Amino acid sequence: MNVFAGTASVDVEKLAMHRGLDMTRFSNLLMKEKTVALPYEDPITFGVNAAKPLIDALSPEEKDRIEVVITCTESAFDFGKSMSTYFHSLLGLNRNCRLFELKNACYSGIAGLQTAINFILSGVSPGAKVLLIATDISRFMVEEGGEGLTEDWSFFEPSSGAGAVAALISEIPHVFQVDVGASGYYGYEVMDTCRPAPDKEAGDADLSLLSYLDCCEKAFLEYQKRVEGADLSATFGYLAMHTPFGGMVKGAHRNIMRKIAKARPAEIEADFDRRVQPSLNYCQRVGNIMGASTLMAIASAIDHGDFGTSQRIGCFSYGSGCCSEFFSGVAGQEGQSRLRAQNIKQHLDRRYELTMEEYDELLVTNNTVKFGTRNVVLDAEFIPQARTAHGKPTLFLKEIKEFHREYDWVS
Amino acid sequence: MNKEEIFALITKHAGEVIPRLEQHDFQWTDSLRALGANSIDRSEIVMMTLEVMELDIPLAETIRAENIGELAALLHSKSVGAQA
Repeated sequence: MNVFAGTASVDVEKLAMHRGLDMTRFSNLLMKEKTVALPYEDPITFGVNAAKPLIDALSPEEKDRIEVVITCTESAFDFGKSMSTYFHSLLGLNRNCRLFELKNACYSGIAGLQTAINFILSGVSPGAKVLLIATDISRFMVEEGGEGLTEDWSFFEPSSGAGAVAALISEIPHVFQVDVGASGYYGYEVMDTCRPAPDKEAGDADLSLLSYLDCCEKAFLEYQKRVEGADLSATFGYLAMHTPFGGMVKGAHRNIMRKIAKARPAEIEADFDRRVQPSLNYCQRVGNIMGASTLMAIASAIDHGDFGTSQRIGCFSYGSGCCSEFFSGVAGQEGQSRLRAQNIKQHLDRRYELTMEEYDELLVTNNTVKFGTRNVVLDAEFIPQARTAHGKPTLFLKEIKEFHREYDWVS
Repeated sequence: MNKEEIFALITKHAGEVIPRLEQHDFQWTDSLRALGANSIDRSEIVMMTLEVMELDIPLAETIRAENIGELAALLHSKSVGAQA
């Protein structure tokens, strides 16, 4: 698996101060930086840039065995055409391949992962692989001469990031082996956060937080029912959870440790530092990447944990609306070495840090690529430092021509 | 536990989560949000209160309360319901 988190970022604390948010309780949100999608970046560029190193490492025969491409997203730019078709083309995959897209808010990545695993386990095409791409972006926009920022943004703006996680799912797991059948799922209808109109995010932050906390407990209890002997404190070396912002994960961990494991506060704090913090490092620097967030938390746990001996990772995904799942898998030394070879930390370090002036200018420029844009040529001169930030070929959106998106590699 | 006791419990936990509120003279119409508690703080206060009350209800149901008095009344009605 691999993570691609864009070419530009902002310091979240600077942004919060710039917006005049109450800073006294800000630090307990546990956020540091967030990736900002530039106008010439979209869910496709994020996804291709994440998947490219994985595909390039395959032999032509292995590459031809990719028989399914699943895109997991809530940021699609078309109601009908699936983004998997673009990924399939840009990555040069075999045409005997299933292409589709999957949505369920931040749960999409895990819905896609489980769908992929079930295809592999079904044994209907031995040796086949699934390319899973979870990719989400948030674009904030202001109309020129408009009212500017509304209060509703105060919660979403500092935490909403952009990024993609790509993973190859096959019958030979090198990085992370999912425990077959070890899943507790829990869902119900709730109107917490949503995207009710193109380019609009809306929601009730309190309700979403409370629903996440409820689901985390209920999904784990269902997991425990299905997995004999499962114990929240003892079974998992690490925990990796959907991370809208670090503080939410801390609250959920505290809640389940108190209620299910009956742990005392000091014990919970130490457990958080030991078992949860490794999974948060990347999320704290990228922001909430929605459908890709739980997968990035798993990547962060594997990169930052101690896998001298294989460890079981307990994973929790929550998608507003809502559906959630607690599941588990095992990673070892080989998985950590393979993942570290992707240099995700260095990738994050290389992003160009936007000034507040550049960031505010972006909020206006974003209108050029709003939902439904039919024709536009993107300005390659906008924040040019970002285009070469990674020092290697990076895919960018060049043009939208009669709704069709055209891309080029820039190095 | 009556409503007054639940109110006292909520305000005690509010002071523990946000130390500067320890000496605050809480009113039934005070809103935790207006007192500077963010969503994490508020959920924490509710969870601590439910734990002491030994009340197991979905946290999402507590969203309807607009102020501390309403929250105390809501938790009270749930606890009465749970005993019945």
